[in-house]
Amino acid sequence: MAKEALKIGEISKPRFEFRTFGRDFDNAAYLMSRLSVPVPEKVWERTSEEFYIVSKTNDINNTKIRDGKMDIKTFVQEVDGLEQWNPLMKAEFPIKAETLKKEVYPAFMVDIPSFDKESYTYDEFMEMIKNHPDLQAVKVEKQRYGYMVNDTICEVANVWINGASVVTVNSESTELEDIKKTINDLGLEGVENINYLQAIKRVIGWSDKSLAN
Amino acid sequence: MIKTQNPRYEFRIFGNHLEKIEKQIREMAKEEQTRIMTSVYLLASGNPKNNIKIREGVMDIKVLEDEHEGLEQWDPFLVGEFPLKAETIKNVIFPALGVHYPAFERDEYTLEQFVDELISGDPDLSVAYVMKKRHGYTIKNVITEVAEIKVNGASIKTICIESENPSKVLKIKAKLGIEKNVENVNYPLALKRIMGLVSLPENWKSESF
Repeated sequence: MAKEALKIGEISKPRFEFRTFGRDFDNAAYLMSRLSVPVPEKVWERTSEEFYIVSKTNDINNTKIRDGKMDIKTFVQEVDGLEQWNPLMKAEFPIKAETLKKEVYPAFMVDIPSFDKESYTYDEFMEMIKNHPDLQAVKVEKQRYGYMVNDTICEVANVWINGASVVTVNSESTELEDIKKTINDLGLEGVENINYLQAIKRVIGWSDKSLAN
Repeated sequence: MIKTQNPRYEFRIFGNHLEKIEKQIREMAKEEQTRIMTSVYLLASGNPKNNIKIREGVMDIKVLEDEHEGLEQWDPFLVGEFPLKAETIKNVIFPALGVHYPAFERDEYTLEQFVDELISGDPDLSVAYVMKKRHGYTIKNVITEVAEIKVNGASIKTICIESENPSKVLKIKAKLGIEKNVENVNYPLALKRIMGLVSLPENWKSESF
């Protein structure tokens, strides 16, 4: 069966992803820029500010809020060290208490608080997160540079987690073999696959593991 | 506890864009030394007056003694070298952390045992692993330092001016062009912000500090 051509910025079937975090990926970034086919100008450089909601009791649902919109992805499977995540839910503030109770808090896998309002604004929701002992809203700023290597969507990004800086590189595609070739071509063989949730937990001290370098 | 030096007044900032101040420092003084070290900081969210760290197996505590015109005076004490006696941990370290001490199952603790058995399980305590590359300068007899640090693997820079004499610190701060309203951020506060143990101020953003 012919593989589906990936286009940056467009929706495809669920992708597998290799991502890692550290402080120095200069060599991988250089190779990525040289091996990439030309990509649309809109992905050359993108910046964003987001909040990730991390939970002490959950590593399988990844919740982020950007521009007043909440987006939760859920871990589906790992194949050959590559991770597949699918969208679980999307919502825009104000969010109904019913949605928080039945979809959002279950994704955090923590005790569900009592809700005394019908819907919650962004500020009200963030206050609830602040008051929950097992949850934390982590500020994540990104400066992302997009590429396309071996038909996989790639990026190198500077990321600031609560103001402290790390670098991430990734390769994602529906095709496992294309990602594996890209990992090899970028000199990243043997480097640990670290997703955003794990990187954030390591920096804020919720995991005692180190970043990749 | 043993007093290790006279208390100093300190002004410290953290950020990602400190190049302008760094350049000023390099124009005013020659770098005297570079030191690379790893420190383990113990953090408790309700404890702003003690700076507790372990370096090369030795624990010291700096106590915030005074605040003067935006400067902080820290008084350092040496607690001792690991393994530390349970009695010392109970009577010195936990009171400094401001939390109740746990049950002790050993007479003394190695650093690893201390972190694993007494600190990690306490929801009110956190540990920050900090690698520092410290560049030391002296400007008009005032210790000035630029350091690249890694907090649990993530990078940020810090600049510090310190002296026993607060007016000297204020003078160098002004010479470096640091405005009066710039916040003085000590190590425990910066680490707590990065680790999300306290709220972030609005200006705690990658591009603005």
